[in-house]
Amino acid sequence: MVVYRRDQREARRRPVLLIVVVAALVLITIDSRGSGLIDSARRSARDALQPVQSIVDSAFNPVRNVVDGITSYGSVKDQNALLKRRVAKLEGRLLRDRAVGSEVGELERLLDLPTIDDATGVAARVVSGSPDNFERTVIVNKGASKGVQLSQPVVAGNGLVGKVTAVTSEEATVTLIDAPGFGVGVRLEGSNESGVAEGRTGDRTMRLSFLSRQLPLCAENAAADTCMRKGELVFTTAVANAAFPPDIPVAKVKNRTKRVGELEATITLTPLVDLDDITYVKILRWPGP
Amino acid sequence: MVRRVRLVLLVVSLVVLQTTAFTHLRIFGAIPDLCLVATVAIAYEEGPERAALFGFLSGLFLDLFLSSPLGLSALSQAVVGYGVGAFQGAMLRESRTMPAFLSAGAGLLGGAIFALVGAVAGEAGYLTGTSLRVIIVAAIYDAVVALPVFAFARWANHDPEIGYSRRR
Repeated sequence: MVVYRRDQREARRRPVLLIVVVAALVLITIDSRGSGLIDSARRSARDALQPVQSIVDSAFNPVRNVVDGITSYGSVKDQNALLKRRVAKLEGRLLRDRAVGSEVGELERLLDLPTIDDATGVAARVVSGSPDNFERTVIVNKGASKGVQLSQPVVAGNGLVGKVTAVTSEEATVTLIDAPGFGVGVRLEGSNESGVAEGRTGDRTMRLSFLSRQLPLCAENAAADTCMRKGELVFTTAVANAAFPPDIPVAKVKNRTKRVGELEATITLTPLVDLDDITYVKILRWPGP
Repeated sequence: MVRRVRLVLLVVSLVVLQTTAFTHLRIFGAIPDLCLVATVAIAYEEGPERAALFGFLSGLFLDLFLSSPLGLSALSQAVVGYGVGAFQGAMLRESRTMPAFLSAGAGLLGGAIFALVGAVAGEAGYLTGTSLRVIIVAAIYDAVVALPVFAFARWANHDPEIGYSRRR
């Protein structure tokens, strides 16, 4: 009798689990293929909760400041953020000058390709990081109401940060350049060889793949266009209809390793922007209106 | 009716906390899954069926604020809620440390399901050594926040008119 009741109870339990599992799998499949309905549901939910999130975030600010550290508490933190922004901007200008100084800048002008100077932008503040453990995203406080659109590039003063991957009326989600699956066309500073810088999981670095020509690490007195150096910068490439404006500093070469039997060397890059400590960013209107 | 309103308040509050305050409280790159811990609390009180349903609905609401495919948290939380409810129902003795242990176990299972199904759905970088580390740290974090989340979930699940309902 006891056995019969347990079987009966088990039989009653199964449909609940089965129904929710099937429903979840159907939703995952639909969303993975892209669905306007789900996207608008997401936008509506985020818009609806945004005011509450904003209040909670503001209320939590003092606690966050303590966690961030005594040095960045209160007004000192604001001042610090402002100074960091200015320093980063100046560093970025310096790095861009290095790019413009190379032959590529002249060729771009000859070909009449658009440059970063052609892109206007919206300044935004990072309000929070990713709400789960598997994303490399940040939320910024400017959205569609300020003209922010999907896929627009996002920069900090000293380099590329990522691109906009979700927009609500008042906020936008920015996927960071070191997120797994993120790729950006780049060129090396010295040789101008082009390739793709891809995000890697977890270790806050990127990998440079598909280089147009395999380059060794430079020996002493080697010509810059025949090899690569540790610390050498990589910039976004200039191609027609590119996702990013050309000559934005992206990362610097950390190391190059090639194991026996591998066809391609593994080139590791370190993003120039400290992606775990971003306060202000600029969302570029790219391609421009 | 009061209980349902409280449960909605519980889910909305936890999602708001997870998407605001806890994004700044990362430990070794991990944050706790508050809705998952609440699902464990409901499983502890109500058993597998209601926990699966609560986990599905709360996970679905959380999914609206994530970039991962909609339904991924719903799936992992529903399965974990059902599993914890069934496991808890089979246990002979309860203890004070049980919520923390259950939350940690649920965090490991939920994280594994999330990563595995996410990878199958085509999300890049979900099945890596780093993901494993993050899942383990997040599970420990789940255990740390279990006490206040359990208290909140018990309050939400309490109907002032009929008291707690343990329908297992």
